[in-house]
Amino acid sequence: MLARVANNLFWMGRYIERSEHIARYLNVNYFSSLDAPNALSQDRQFVLRSMLFMVGNPVEQVEETLEEQKVLYSIGLDPNFPSSILNNVKQARENANSARDLISTELYEAINKFYHFVLKYDPGLFMKSGLHDFTMNVAEMTSVLRGKIRGTLLHDSVYAIIMMGINIERATQIIRIINTKYNDALNAQGSYGDKFSNSFEWTTLLKCAESYDMMRRFYKKTPTSISTLEFLILNPNCPRSIMNSLNQVYNHVKILDPSRAYNKNTTAFLVGKVRAEYEYKFIEEIEKDIQAFIEQILNSLREISQKMEKEFFNY
Amino acid sequence: MPLEYAITYKAENTYENWVSDAHWQFLIVPEENSSQELISTDFTNSLNAINEPSINGYGFQTIRVHPKKSFKNITFEATSKVIKKEVNPFDFSLSDHHHSIYRHIESLEFKVDYESFLRKTYFTTIPENDSGLFRFNRFLSIFENLRALNQWTYDHIFFKTEVTDVNTTLYEIIKNRHGVCQDFTHLFCALARQNNIPARYVSGYLHQGNGYFGDSQMHAWAEVFIPEIGWMGFDPTNNLIANENHIKVAHGKDYFDCAPLKGVVFTTGSNETRHSVIVAGQQQQ
Amino acid sequence: MGSIKNQMFSSYQKSEGLYDEIHDSNGEIKAIYKKLFDIYGEHSIKDYVKLNDKAKSSFFNQGITFQVYDKKKTQEKIFPFDLFPRIIGPKEWEIIEKGAIQRSKALNLFLWDIYHDKRIIKQGIVPMELISSSVNYLDQMNGIDPPGGIYNHISGTDIIKHNDGNYYVLEDNIRCPSGVSYVICNRTALKRALFGVFNHYKTCSVTNYAENLLDLLETVKPNGVDVPNVVVITPGMYNSAFYEHSYLAKTMGVELVEGRDLFVENDFVYMKTIRGPERVDVIYRRIDDAFIDPLEFRPDSSLGVPGLFAAYKKGNVTLANAPGTGVADDKAVYTYMPEIIKYYLKEEPILNNVRTFHCSRPDELKYVLEHISELVIKPVDEAGGYGISIGNRLSKKELDQVREQVKASPRKYVAQPIMSLSVHPTYIDSSRSFEQRHVDLRTFTVLGKEKEFVLKGGLTRVALQKGNLIVNSSQGGGSKDTWVLQK
Repeated sequence: MLARVANNLFWMGRYIERSEHIARYLNVNYFSSLDAPNALSQDRQFVLRSMLFMVGNPVEQVEETLEEQKVLYSIGLDPNFPSSILNNVKQARENANSARDLISTELYEAINKFYHFVLKYDPGLFMKSGLHDFTMNVAEMTSVLRGKIRGTLLHDSVYAIIMMGINIERATQIIRIINTKYNDALNAQGSYGDKFSNSFEWTTLLKCAESYDMMRRFYKKTPTSISTLEFLILNPNCPRSIMNSLNQVYNHVKILDPSRAYNKNTTAFLVGKVRAEYEYKFIEEIEKDIQAFIEQILNSLREISQKMEKEFFNY
Repeated sequence: MPLEYAITYKAENTYENWVSDAHWQFLIVPEENSSQELISTDFTNSLNAINEPSINGYGFQTIRVHPKKSFKNITFEATSKVIKKEVNPFDFSLSDHHHSIYRHIESLEFKVDYESFLRKTYFTTIPENDSGLFRFNRFLSIFENLRALNQWTYDHIFFKTEVTDVNTTLYEIIKNRHGVCQDFTHLFCALARQNNIPARYVSGYLHQGNGYFGDSQMHAWAEVFIPEIGWMGFDPTNNLIANENHIKVAHGKDYFDCAPLKGVVFTTGSNETRHSVIVAGQQQQ
Repeated sequence: MGSIKNQMFSSYQKSEGLYDEIHDSNGEIKAIYKKLFDIYGEHSIKDYVKLNDKAKSSFFNQGITFQVYDKKKTQEKIFPFDLFPRIIGPKEWEIIEKGAIQRSKALNLFLWDIYHDKRIIKQGIVPMELISSSVNYLDQMNGIDPPGGIYNHISGTDIIKHNDGNYYVLEDNIRCPSGVSYVICNRTALKRALFGVFNHYKTCSVTNYAENLLDLLETVKPNGVDVPNVVVITPGMYNSAFYEHSYLAKTMGVELVEGRDLFVENDFVYMKTIRGPERVDVIYRRIDDAFIDPLEFRPDSSLGVPGLFAAYKKGNVTLANAPGTGVADDKAVYTYMPEIIKYYLKEEPILNNVRTFHCSRPDELKYVLEHISELVIKPVDEAGGYGISIGNRLSKKELDQVREQVKASPRKYVAQPIMSLSVHPTYIDSSRSFEQRHVDLRTFTVLGKEKEFVLKGGLTRVALQKGNLIVNSSQGGGSKDTWVLQK
């Protein structure tokens, strides 16, 4: 496979995954805020700020009043806002285009349909009443794409590269969502009387990661800061957890680099090392300094991505 | 007596910003022919990038360089050793039938065989108003006419550096009447072709021990095809017939086919290129 | 006049003087169209529209689109398509197929000659200007023997049927002819929408194009290569024919590369893969000559590969089509095709050429200027239907302008009588009915070493505007599936 095309497939995976997380984040935060148990979590300004923080565009000025429609439009459909869902889907399709000869017609068609759906979505409708419809459709279509990726591609290096993109992005987005909600939980603290560890924001966080139901099944208790973080970071069976994503990245990099020789300079070695580190972490030591932990994991993911670029995408 | 030359070509390219990717192709190595023998060529560059010997589209030897790391400055240095035979340019005999020779060069067969060196190119197109600049005298031989053309070009254009560049066309040269070897050669070729004589642009080195014009860069002269003789070199810049001081690298329709350095460089901002040529000669024992 | 009972064609109007593909000279439906005509007649226009719209949206969803360049923005469009196929019977097809091969072979021998001994020019059969004033003649190709002796591996021949009922060739496209992917997509769409009709006809398959192409490209591999590594090179995903490039790479099962994926080292070509460099032996290139190697041709090209031509000249890689092939794509060369065929093959041309006037010749120029309103004026070196003026469509003022253009640079123009392209029933969206529209046929011929192949089918291009004769997709043309019937 061409190095350039591999790079495109990797980013196709990342953009597909990214658009889903943004869509779900918009949906869950907006709708759960409507009847949130405390005033701040209900506060629209609070929610909009949280959304902008999550897409990497935090609002610095405290006094600034955000316009709901504007914020929703820019994150959803604004062609001039680089991290809008529209631009993510567009990027996913552009990357798919250049690798069109390698992926299945079915996958390409699904991506293309997805793109046209987003492109044609009426911004007026979206801002007025379409938020739920649009974000749910985006989430569903990404899930169709994952199905096509799994079900219509050869499980060879093409598949492995896409899956690495998806899983590195997933781990990155989950950690960013954790970061955002951690921030929200800190800010919401004291506004109603619920403590940080029992904040309503943890429920929202789990829902954003589509993991609320399974978390309840596993712990059979209301989510707390510690159980939520444990589930989303360390539980290898939770499909959205950092641990699970790292395991997936590891399995797929082994397809690209099947060598068994000991070579500390390979991506496979680095992924294995990072994975091993998190496999034997426990949540109490993470919780001591969440902020530092978030920085650290983001760094590790960035390092893996850079190493991949050097080793496989060098063109 | 054979002459040995050591030719040193240097080029230095400096860029304002980092260059991420670059390809160069040098056309600077003397060719092998009946009057010159290439003993050795040594090519180096300051980035220690691999120097790949190859050929260009016309079969002349080139060296390609493609550095694998970013840089802002690169220098190249090539040293070639050549042995040049002394040849008497007048060692031929011509028949007296000028008429039949002139008829021969007007035949379709001849025109087709030498088509590419009879063709007008961007650099060898004479403006319509100047079409009568130099007409052959049919009562003289082609050789004599070409000598006259050589003299005429030498007299008509004044050697002056930095008034023309690699993009200058004949329109300006004829109008302003000054230029360098490249301009003399383009004009000479254009006028020879206009008179049905195949002419090619030659790029090479000139040994300047005798005070010829050559501006310490690469030199240019022309080769024309004369029936009964073959290809023969004329240096209109110096009003000479090419001799043992002319070391040929390549020929083509015009400068564009023979540019000593072609490159594709990915960078932004300004850049500067400097070339120099030193031809050192010594008589062989 | 034949009576038309069926619903779909109840409003079909036939103009006198036009050759209608589905009717014979008595106005009856031709035998080969009869069954089709009846089956389509069973549908109502409403059903048909539904099927047609479905087919169109399937093209759109599959991303089988091209970009249209506009001053403001580029738009993604599907190539307009309708579900009523064009049928060519086995006897007629045999003529087309033999004629297309004959032309391709003659052009190949012509190219060999003009890049070697130039006998045809020395013997005065074609003028020297065909090479000396052609921008597509590459001096660098002089004396090079392309692998397998093939220059024009892939040719697209544009053929029309005139109102005299005979086929004429309009042009031979041998640079990077495009359109073959649409032939296959049109067939797929038609099969999906109206599978029933195929039961009544024995139609030749078109899906074997890619395997045949790969097969023939492998016959022209460089010396010393066992199993050649073939790639398709594209200018990139913003090129209007990118879909076709990716389609061909995918169906041949080879890599689709861009210039930046390749590099030359020691005069061999390699592509950059995730596991390091891999040698490339045969390049089906969809990039024009001028852009293939910035060190040899246009220095501002970022699409090409520095050093590629040196690798080619040394025989280490095959380029298809060979560099310099475009010289024979020139409309001036076209006009000598009958002589070229006779000269190299000692055969009479199987397909007719349209009579052509060379504006470079004073007497013919005079004729052209005097009869400009009865002629089509074409620039000799433009592709895609650009710059064509059709005499009887222009106002007096416009005609004067064309005259001035031709007088200013006569060598740039040729003129031909206005050919009346045959018409074919075509579904027209705006009137929701079938109407006559002019059509042509682009066939695809592949030459290999001692092997050749013509795709049994082709791209029937339709001029969608009423009365228009220009069928190019860039000028608003559509297409139809084309059935070649088995013997």
